[in-house]
Amino acid sequence: MMKNVMEVLFLLMLLFTVHAKEKSYNPPEKPALTRCRSPEKETFTCWWEPGSDGGLPTTYALYYRKENSETVYECPDYHTAGENSCFFNKNDTSIWVNYNISVVAANALGRAFSDPVDIDVVYIVKPNPPEKLKVAVMEDKGWPFLRVSWEPPHKADTRSGWITLIYELRVRLEEEDDWEMHLAGQQKMFNIFSLRSGGKYLVEVRCKPDHGFWSEWSSTSYINVPDYFPREKSMWILVAAFSAFIFLILTWLLHMNTHRLKHCILPPVPGPKIKGFDKQLLKNGKSDEFFSALVVPNFPEASPSKYEDMLVVEFFEVKEQELMLEESNDLLDGGLKYESSRSDSDSGRGSCDSHTLLLDKCREAKEERQTNRDGSLIEKQIRQKDRKEEAISPDISSGRVKTWPSLYSPLPQYGSNPLDKQSSLEMAKQHSLSISSFLTQPGTKDALGLSYMDFCLSNKQNHVHPQTQVQTRSNVNISNIGHKHAPAGLHSPTTQYVEVQRVNKEDMVLLQPVLSRCGLIEDCPHLPKGEDYSKVKGVDYDNRLLLQREGTGEDMCSGMDQETNGERGNCYTTSTVSIMQKPTACIYTVMPIQEGMALTLNGYVDTANMGNLPSC
Amino acid sequence: MGKSSSHHFVLHCKKGTMKKVLFAALCLVYLELSMRVVSAPICSYGQAGCHVPSLADLFERVIQQSSRMHSVSSDLHSEFEQYFFPSKNIMGKRKCHTYDILTPQDKENAQRLGREQLTEVIVTLLRAWGEPLSELHQSMSQDQHQDFNIYSSNKALEISDIVHELKDGVKIITDKMRLMGVLSNTVGYNSPESLVPSSAFYTQGDLDSMDHHDLLYCFRRDSNKVKNYLRVLKCTTLPELGC
Repeated sequence: MMKNVMEVLFLLMLLFTVHAKEKSYNPPEKPALTRCRSPEKETFTCWWEPGSDGGLPTTYALYYRKENSETVYECPDYHTAGENSCFFNKNDTSIWVNYNISVVAANALGRAFSDPVDIDVVYIVKPNPPEKLKVAVMEDKGWPFLRVSWEPPHKADTRSGWITLIYELRVRLEEEDDWEMHLAGQQKMFNIFSLRSGGKYLVEVRCKPDHGFWSEWSSTSYINVPDYFPREKSMWILVAAFSAFIFLILTWLLHMNTHRLKHCILPPVPGPKIKGFDKQLLKNGKSDEFFSALVVPNFPEASPSKYEDMLVVEFFEVKEQELMLEESNDLLDGGLKYESSRSDSDSGRGSCDSHTLLLDKCREAKEERQTNRDGSLIEKQIRQKDRKEEAISPDISSGRVKTWPSLYSPLPQYGSNPLDKQSSLEMAKQHSLSISSFLTQPGTKDALGLSYMDFCLSNKQNHVHPQTQVQTRSNVNISNIGHKHAPAGLHSPTTQYVEVQRVNKEDMVLLQPVLSRCGLIEDCPHLPKGEDYSKVKGVDYDNRLLLQREGTGEDMCSGMDQETNGERGNCYTTSTVSIMQKPTACIYTVMPIQEGMALTLNGYVDTANMGNLPSC
Repeated sequence: MGKSSSHHFVLHCKKGTMKKVLFAALCLVYLELSMRVVSAPICSYGQAGCHVPSLADLFERVIQQSSRMHSVSSDLHSEFEQYFFPSKNIMGKRKCHTYDILTPQDKENAQRLGREQLTEVIVTLLRAWGEPLSELHQSMSQDQHQDFNIYSSNKALEISDIVHELKDGVKIITDKMRLMGVLSNTVGYNSPESLVPSSAFYTQGDLDSMDHHDLLYCFRRDSNKVKNYLRVLKCTTLPELGC
């Protein structure tokens, strides 16, 4: 029985010890002093971190020694500063004295000493945050700013100079995350500029002794910045000014490039081209081929002209020597675009301007009429050349109508033999031929008129072989011409110039000699200006050259063709008679314009160059 | 042709720059002379022709200097500690040679001391450190730890100079305060030189790095005392300055 009890006891004890080993009790672990802080350099507090208590109730004690003293004191106050802390009050705190502090943890099983810590209170100062933070919106010349003011923590005695604090504040907008820091030094007031209109700002401030730790941030102060108008207004003004500036620049650019734009949007009407005109052929020197190329089948239209009774030239045969054509081409190429020729003020140029004339007589009149600068230059050139050429221009034998003024060519150095010129001139240029009959009575318009008529009528059937026909005729007639028109002052009394008078409805060209006295003779100052010439008015739909006469006053030519009724030079000829009587004639020509038509630079058609002219 | 022109150009340039330099130098000289003429020398007794600074200005100047003194010494000490004693073992049993200078250890004591005594303490402290600092500087510049000491010996020299200036400054202030009647005339510098300990306190022979460390530690503390006492002095003497 005893044995049984003993065994039970033994078992119980075993159980107990086993049980006891699972929950082992240890002496406490070493605590550690975490930090000591003084808020005003007059008191301080130390906190420690306890280690494991070993399962047993553990007590902690803080002991300290002062510098150069062996006396160990215990912490006077464990409670004021909370758990695991020791608070040193003013009496126990000495500045500039080294404290050696350690904490001891003790429980039933043992004690544990923490590592000692040496502190000097002056270097552990961490003040409380500043107090009474005030933020206000103030205005400086219409621009608002924040005025932030605060006070030092009430415990820190800055007034006596015992402690010196420096401050720092931070600002941000409510919706943003980044703070804007400002160091304020020892001052207790600060201004913040560059505010956003209508924004809500958060402001905080903290402080630090000159050697110590930063305090915590103070409680946040909120402020609303009111909407201020000037800033927005100025912004809108800026925007408006900027956009106006951009607009001005765009307008200026547009203005500068109007021409290009016009070209883009409204492309220019292409110039006239003479069908069959082949420059290369011409240059090659094979005039036969060239002229054959110029021949257009089914031409001219056999439409009766209203003014059939008028003397008209059926058509011209332009048989030119290469020189002339080249010259004319050059002139043509020389930049006389068709549209510019329209604008080219042929107006004001009299018949004198026609290259078929000797020009020096008409120079004065001409100059007055010059409105186009380009034209004037060329005119002058022509005149100069004319002068030159005059010297070498051969006297056409009587009867030769010099319809081709070598005069007018600005490029005299082709080395053309004037004689050659003449000879070629004689040839087909014989629209003059038609004038032939006309010119039998030089100087009289009547005669001219009649001649025209005759020619026209006679040539009606002849347009199949215009060249030859014309030629033959002309030869005969030209000789007559030469006599008659030899007014004083003419250099070559035997030469006669012919001008295209007009073109009737049937596309017949009316020629007239350019022997209007007033045009050629000096003593006719009252020559009405701008009458004796043919001027290109335009090209009609059918690539026909529209000539017009520029004239005023009494010269009236009947507006035969509708095309020629235009803004200027509405000439109306009532009758051929009237035409003849007048010193100047109204000239209308409508002729098909083919490639390389010999337009002079001033827009005048060189009748000499005509080919395939309409017949009446 | 090109070369000669470039040569010409270079010469011309040089001449031009020389002229500019000369002009600049002349300008500087003129400015300095003119500034010298304009500014009046500072004197404490108000002799003719000099500008007398106010007490506030003097205090401001002195406090700035003491602040500078403390920060330099603090830097020097922490560098020393990092370089030589990373274990952060501050002096244990050793004493500073100024330990027997009675200094107020807290605010009440400092305020209770009064202006005269406070001024005296300050002066005493400053005088106590004149010699040891110059010895420290000498010792540091001779030390074999060249890479560290070249940089720190300059600082030691700077500290030494500041202390010297501070002494003069505080003297001027006390004179002025006496003049103003703020300070009674009974205060004298009654701590004889013999009582002022020297660096012999620390070691008999030459100072070594351990001595340097101790010196720096002690001086850091004392400079802080001086700075604090000066501030207290200023704020009790001139409370309207808004301490």
